[in-house]
Amino acid sequence: MSFRTSSTTQQRQNLLDLQATQERLALNQSRIASGKRITQPGEDPAGAALILDFGTSIDTNTQFLKQVDSASSFLQYAEDAVATTINDTTRLQELAQQGLSSTNAGSGRAALAQEVAAIRANLLAMGNTQVQGKYIFAGTMTTTPPFADDGTGTGTLAYNGDNSTINLTVSAGSAPVATNVTGRQVFQGGAPAAGSATDIFQVTLDLQAALATNNEAAIQLASTRLQTIQDNLNQVQADLGGRQAGLADVKSTLTSFNATLQGMQSGQEDTDFAQAITQYSSDQTIQSATLSIMAKTSKVNLFDYLA
Amino acid sequence: MPGLNSSLNIALSGLQAQQSALNVVGHNIANVNTPGYTRQRANISSGQALIQGDVYYGSGANVTSVQGIRDRFLNLQITRETAKQSGADTRYTTVSAVSSSLGDTGATGISAKLQAFFQSFQDLAARPEDTSLRTNVVGKAQNLVSSLQTQYQMLDDQRSNADQTVGSLVGQVNTLANQIAQLNQRITSATTAGADNDAIDQRQALTDKLAGLVGINVVEGSKGEFQITLDSGAAVLVSGSSSYDLTAKRAGTLTDNYLQVASNMGGTLVDVTAGIKEGQLGANLDLRDNLLVGFQAQLDQIAAGVASSVNLTQKAMLAVNGLVGQDFFQNASVLNSASDGLPTSITANPTLKSGSGWTDHYKGMVKLLTVNAALVANPSLIAASANGVAGDNSIALAMAQLGSANATVDTGPGGTTGFTGAMGALITDLGTQTQNYAAQNTTQQNLVSALQTQRDSLSGVNLDEEASNMMMLQRGYQASARFLSVISSLADQLMRQFGN
Repeated sequence: MSFRTSSTTQQRQNLLDLQATQERLALNQSRIASGKRITQPGEDPAGAALILDFGTSIDTNTQFLKQVDSASSFLQYAEDAVATTINDTTRLQELAQQGLSSTNAGSGRAALAQEVAAIRANLLAMGNTQVQGKYIFAGTMTTTPPFADDGTGTGTLAYNGDNSTINLTVSAGSAPVATNVTGRQVFQGGAPAAGSATDIFQVTLDLQAALATNNEAAIQLASTRLQTIQDNLNQVQADLGGRQAGLADVKSTLTSFNATLQGMQSGQEDTDFAQAITQYSSDQTIQSATLSIMAKTSKVNLFDYLA
Repeated sequence: MPGLNSSLNIALSGLQAQQSALNVVGHNIANVNTPGYTRQRANISSGQALIQGDVYYGSGANVTSVQGIRDRFLNLQITRETAKQSGADTRYTTVSAVSSSLGDTGATGISAKLQAFFQSFQDLAARPEDTSLRTNVVGKAQNLVSSLQTQYQMLDDQRSNADQTVGSLVGQVNTLANQIAQLNQRITSATTAGADNDAIDQRQALTDKLAGLVGINVVEGSKGEFQITLDSGAAVLVSGSSSYDLTAKRAGTLTDNYLQVASNMGGTLVDVTAGIKEGQLGANLDLRDNLLVGFQAQLDQIAAGVASSVNLTQKAMLAVNGLVGQDFFQNASVLNSASDGLPTSITANPTLKSGSGWTDHYKGMVKLLTVNAALVANPSLIAASANGVAGDNSIALAMAQLGSANATVDTGPGGTTGFTGAMGALITDLGTQTQNYAAQNTTQQNLVSALQTQRDSLSGVNLDEEASNMMMLQRGYQASARFLSVISSLADQLMRQFGN
């Protein structure tokens, strides 16, 4: 038994098939041109949500990388200042030793006192280091110079900063990283009061006075105190170095995490060119075959054979 | 024994029958490309016999009827599926158009703007003393607000498009219903019921067209008349030879003064807006009143989440100059925010916080949102510090963390999510709906096409078939003519032999 087909059925079916092919052609064309597998969420809702999710994580990590860089730069500046301070302290110690030697007694010591005064000025500059407009040794009071004359006329420097830490978040879920050390920790040995035995400015001032007044006992005392101060500075430097090393680890973790995420995102988002192009050319073949079939079948008709 | 005249009549009836049938073939061929045309067949039967004694002599052939070859149940099924197909098509077109912009997963999408806003607070955390970074925060906030508002406006535009379409569709529906009623009249008043094949075809074509515009139920009455109601049964469009108009009028009760569709039966207007489900009309109403509103509600929820969490965090803290933190976001006309951090005029609907009215709770949030003008004029009012100390960044950090925090967006009774979750949900929702309507559209298209093939296989014109019928009838005509000439020559013979 044969199935009755009307003359328009075939035409309509061909047209529908042709439209479907054209739709696929257009889709693959936009996939190839844009390089994106998903040109709108409807093509793969779950995939689109994943792409968004990966994108958000990548953005977040990229921002964390920026945070790591700025935290490192603050720590680097602090470490540089501390290193200079250590060098200065070493020089002070040398000067103290020279002052203790009897060959320098008298006017020799006065010359040494002048160099100590110069070093003290440099130390003060270190204590008031400013980076990008903020005083890095002032705790959170970053707009106030942390060390200034306390106004008592003794030459003692007051600490005008606070003891707070400035934290930055450098990765999701982990504890924030402290990006500063306070001036009190670095220059006053963490001791609460200015003018104490661990205050580098006070000890330097004392040394200067001792040299100027030829007071050997006082020079000896200053030298001992400088040793303690140097130990403290070394400790601070080690701490700063340790924090930077930690940040370098975080940075490399974030970078490799991002690389992985980008790989996953691209797996979801990017066009598989080989597949898209193959499908495109196969659809083109189908399209031209359909068109030529349509042109031929509409000619085959009994009326052609009737005289 | 029948006479020669009787034979002449038989020849004549044969000629007439073949010619009439050829006429029908010609009509079929002429209509081979007419949409919805049903092929016709001439039914030829033998004439009534003449009795001569015991012998019955045939009296030739007559065309007794011209019959349309159709299956009315198949036709009604096509009508029903056509409405669903055009509904899915309309929904798919709009949702898919909306989704490519609203569902942007790239750098210009809402999600990226949200991230950028919260990340600007991380930049601020690194250097809280810096005014330029505060200006950056304000810029990112304004970007976010304008991006939300652009998308929201686009949805609004689509809604008013749909509304305008409703107005014009109602006019078309009325015209079609009126024409169908007139054809009903013609069909039922034919001498033999159902004999007016071409009127039936025309009515079927118009009914299919009507189904594309609006979801309908069609019932065929005993006299062959169509009774047409809306698919929900809410109103009658055509009953016998009368049609009942739909009217579209602006109704203050509807949001944005949208069009209300009402049926006008017996002089009273009955609101049937919710009773139209399918067809272009139903789909446009659905888009206007449900689908697009759903997306807007999600944007409103996100905007409410941003305003509320950012304002609450800001207000608890101190700005750089030691002043108490101000509202970050506000409604342009309302200066102080409520205790939930939302600009005060927005919580106007607290009673809607549960149940079916939920989506209206934050309604209009996006439209009302602005960045506090005082902060724009003086970005140093943005709080980064908990205690007013310049270098303290604890608030900036807290603000930055809001971006990835959970439970910042209120998604309905008992439900909360973070910004990433809310954006993910919006994208998935958009995607799933687009996919859903695309699939429905394809399925319905295939179904309608299969049904049409079935209808064509029964009712469509096949030119080969018509050609062979034509040859057959031509032969019949030739033979009848030959028979006529034989009888005529017999009569001639008689005339000549006895003529003189």
